Amino acid sequence: MRDTAVVSYAQSPCLAANRRDDMADILLPVIRAAVDAVGIERDEIDFYASGSHDFFEGRTFAYIESLDAVGAWPPISESHVEMDAAWAFAEAWSWLQLGQGDIALVYGIGRGSLPQDLDQVMPAQLDPYFLAPLRPHRDAVAGLQACAAIDAGLTSEQHMAEIVSRCLASATENPYAQTSGQVSVHDLLAAPYVSSPLRKHDVSPPGDAAAVVVLAAGDAARRLTARPAWVRAVDHRMDTHYPGMRDLTSSGSTRIAAGRAADLAGFAAADVEVAELHTEYSHQEPLLAMALGLNGAEINPSGGPLAGRPATATGLVRIGEAARQILDGRAGRTLAHATNGPALQHNLVCLLEGAA
Amino acid sequence: MSLPEPVTTMASPFRMDYTYVAGVGRSVFLRGLAERRLLARRCPGCAQVYLPPPEFCSRCLSELEAPFELDGLGAVSTFCVVNFPFPGQTIEPPYVVAYIQVHGAGTRLMHLVREVEPERVRIGMAVEPVWAPDDQLTTSLKSIQHFRPVRGADA
Repeated sequence: MRDTAVVSYAQSPCLAANRRDDMADILLPVIRAAVDAVGIERDEIDFYASGSHDFFEGRTFAYIESLDAVGAWPPISESHVEMDAAWAFAEAWSWLQLGQGDIALVYGIGRGSLPQDLDQVMPAQLDPYFLAPLRPHRDAVAGLQACAAIDAGLTSEQHMAEIVSRCLASATENPYAQTSGQVSVHDLLAAPYVSSPLRKHDVSPPGDAAAVVVLAAGDAARRLTARPAWVRAVDHRMDTHYPGMRDLTSSGSTRIAAGRAADLAGFAAADVEVAELHTEYSHQEPLLAMALGLNGAEINPSGGPLAGRPATATGLVRIGEAARQILDGRAGRTLAHATNGPALQHNLVCLLEGAA
Repeated sequence: MSLPEPVTTMASPFRMDYTYVAGVGRSVFLRGLAERRLLARRCPGCAQVYLPPPEFCSRCLSELEAPFELDGLGAVSTFCVVNFPFPGQTIEPPYVVAYIQVHGAGTRLMHLVREVEPERVRIGMAVEPVWAPDDQLTTSLKSIQHFRPVRGADA
């Protein structure tokens, strides 16, 4: 396997709704920050990969607008995934493994605020024959999963509120967080349900932001930064589309991806100091910690998605935050998790390490 | 004995409403339209003139210079004749859709060419904008109803 590392990461502040900037305007300063941090020119970038979704934009081929922030003339080598940009990261990492270039830039742009009502949009991701016609609202499937997780003894409403309280407190240190603060568990539990047993704070707040990761291979990575965050493994697995076919209380796809990643990396999720998890809902934290086999790792020191969920950039933000722990010298081994689909249908695990 | 008829179709209509965020650059252009002004912007790096202008040059990534007004006179760059009906169509076919090379702009503007028989339209034809009446001016390209041949021009 070719040594490949995250050498730079930048993001824009998560906003509940950015009504000022178009896609390119949100993205351009973030690309500049990520590229300037490692002192490269854009003609040194061999490959671009991005993730976004037309259903959040309300236009076909919406991401083309974001290429205005890349500078696609003269023509560039470029690819896009119609999903969270963590999967664009997986593609760029695979592309670098092929050895056709040394530097790749990955970006995610998510604008969860453009749909006027996510309840109109989110059912479109469900099975079109048996579930979508029922038009469950945006948090309905997650509510079923949370209820099952509590019944299975994995968590409780009290425990979920504790997770939210911890994440919002951590997010006070994160200038890019959408929401943060010192909130008591008692106050959180006094809030009404939005999808029982989920309360509003149990649902990560959707919004708008962009994230950019620069990946480099071998000597290029060593040249660009003092402490590259070496990507030791990326793996992703998918559960079946129909949630009724799954045991919602255990994420088999996460478990398999974590096992395969450990085989590739030579160390496991149990060995990491920090884990950034794509928790769209508070109850998913214990569920993922169990499936990954975390062993005492600090979870979501950035505040995680419960402090801000920019659609289709949230997973890439996890990778960026996990890498930043290593780039800044705060951790030696970290893990990033990303998800797509309803109730943790599709899961990606990335293991990062500081030592060359 | 025959098999039961399979289910071949099911209706599941989605309706999704979105907010469109035009961005800083395109907002300048759209507001100009509401005042019968075609506002272009030039790139300080490569001198490309954008109409409509975004905020940044998509080649140089430089912020574009201050907006300036073009009179809208231009030439048909290419065109096609729409002959078929489709849902939501607001104009009776046949009609002409064209790329207009507005003089002074480096990019082309897509719009209708009317007040001329479709078979008389040709590439290079000199055209001018026909602005909407005051009560129909808005922050949209609908502020230009269509382009039409410049009377007396022999382009």
